[in-house]
Amino acid sequence: MSRLNIDGLAKGIIAGDIPSISRGISIVEDHSQNYASSELMKKIYDRTGRIHIIGVTGPPGVGKSSLIGMLAAEMSKRKQKTSIIAVDASSPFTGGTLLGNRIRMQDSINQNSIFMRSLASRGFKGGLSSAALSTIKILDAAGYESVIVETVGSGQADIDIMKIAHTILVLHAPGLGDIVQSIKAGIMEIGDLFVVNKIDRQEAFLAIKDIEDSLAMLPSGTWTKKVIGVNSLTGEHVGELMDEITRHREYYFKNRPDDEGIREMSIYIEDEMRRIINERSRQKGDLHREMKKLMSRGIDPFNGALKIVDKIIGTEV
Amino acid sequence: MADGKSLSLFKDKPIKVLLAKPGIDGHDRGMFVLAKAFRDAGMDVLYAGLLPTPEEVIDTAVNEDVDVIALSLLNGAHLTVFKKVSDLLKARKIDDIAVVGGGTIPDGDKIKLEKMGISGNYGPGTPLATIIAHVTQRAADARRKKLADR
Ligand SMILES: Nc1nc2c(ncn2[C@@H]2O[C@H](COP(=O)(O)OP(=O)(O)OP(=O)(O)O)[C@@H](O)[C@H]2O)c(=O)[nH]1
Ligand SMILES: [Mg+2]
Repeated sequence: MSRLNIDGLAKGIIAGDIPSISRGISIVEDHSQNYASSELMKKIYDRTGRIHIIGVTGPPGVGKSSLIGMLAAEMSKRKQKTSIIAVDASSPFTGGTLLGNRIRMQDSINQNSIFMRSLASRGFKGGLSSAALSTIKILDAAGYESVIVETVGSGQADIDIMKIAHTILVLHAPGLGDIVQSIKAGIMEIGDLFVVNKIDRQEAFLAIKDIEDSLAMLPSGTWTKKVIGVNSLTGEHVGELMDEITRHREYYFKNRPDDEGIREMSIYIEDEMRRIINERSRQKGDLHREMKKLMSRGIDPFNGALKIVDKIIGTEV
Repeated sequence: MADGKSLSLFKDKPIKVLLAKPGIDGHDRGMFVLAKAFRDAGMDVLYAGLLPTPEEVIDTAVNEDVDVIALSLLNGAHLTVFKKVSDLLKARKIDDIAVVGGGTIPDGDKIKLEKMGISGNYGPGTPLATIIAHVTQRAADARRKKLADR
């Protein structure tokens, strides 16, 4: 395979050149280009460490993309250089992906010339966490002050992205299921700011109150979690939300943990292992037939599985 | 369909295609059918939204680093609008994003479009498999250029 001019690419990224940034992301997304990625990461590493990572999560249809469009417009108004990454779920059957998040923020992106990149989740194949993390590094090196990351609201990559986000926004909207559900799922703990979207809908004020009540039950920390109601179609109260995000950014950077690098490395390690194991099991041919054979020999599923796993990651590669 | 080589080209990063109807044409259903067909063929599919300008189409294509831009129009303004897209790509020195066209295009115009580097130019009723095969072939060329040392 041909080699890319990684040196030129890294220089372009550091200079903030959009085509270079974009091509760099394509490389870190493509795991058959891992050698190029490793060279690129070496070359940009000392330019990273300044970007503010804002994670946005919440159930499907709650208005994540719409809100991100509004936030990006607000940041542009405040002369802050922001960028956006949005994850779309891949089809588990064909592996293809409709990258639909972009369309919901397209107007804001066009009007404010914001760099926005869609990433496909790739489902069980793995590799998204690593691609997303490296994409953030590229945007960091390119000099963006912040990146807003939209996740799909479930899956390992989501958890990983939230682990590296500095400020986490958890979205709710009236009519999208019980808030008690999310409290059970531990989502109250991970959020720094809670947003009730679609306040043009009547029941929004009940949702705000529900969240406030459940936040009151959490042990109080040094950061007080707030609930803010917004309308992501009109932009109502998005300015106030932006003020809170800025406050949290200051709070985070003042209390910045010293193990960010270790956390990032752990995510890369786990993601890379998952990806390699998936790839290897595909290379091992028809595992399904192997499983059938084991079952027909009367081996129980647990011991059958041990044999298959040994075949995949055993020492005979 | 894709030969073995192009399959390995897309093994860890599928073909990425941007569907766009630039200019003055609001008709959308066909786009949705195409988007789903491309996704079901394993591609990553973007849609440029309603009435994007040629500049917006290119900006999106560059931000997303797509392999192929698929342009479609039904109102006969192909030559002007498609040419604008092709000219903009040239002006920005982008040669590793392929452009394919579609719509009700007279044969005479097809030749002119081909000369601009816009291939395919399939009319309504073309089997989806034909379109997918063509996009795959153009995507392979674009991807090879993206991965070339320069
Ligand atoms: N009434 C009302 N509708 C809204 C508001 N914000 C978003 N919507 C609508 O809600 C729908 C979903 O919005 P998206 O921004 O795509 O939501 P999302 O959470 O990104 O959706 P997924 O990415 O599919 O999970 C769209 O039809 C929006 O127009 C709001 O504040 N009020
Ligand atoms: Mg969305």
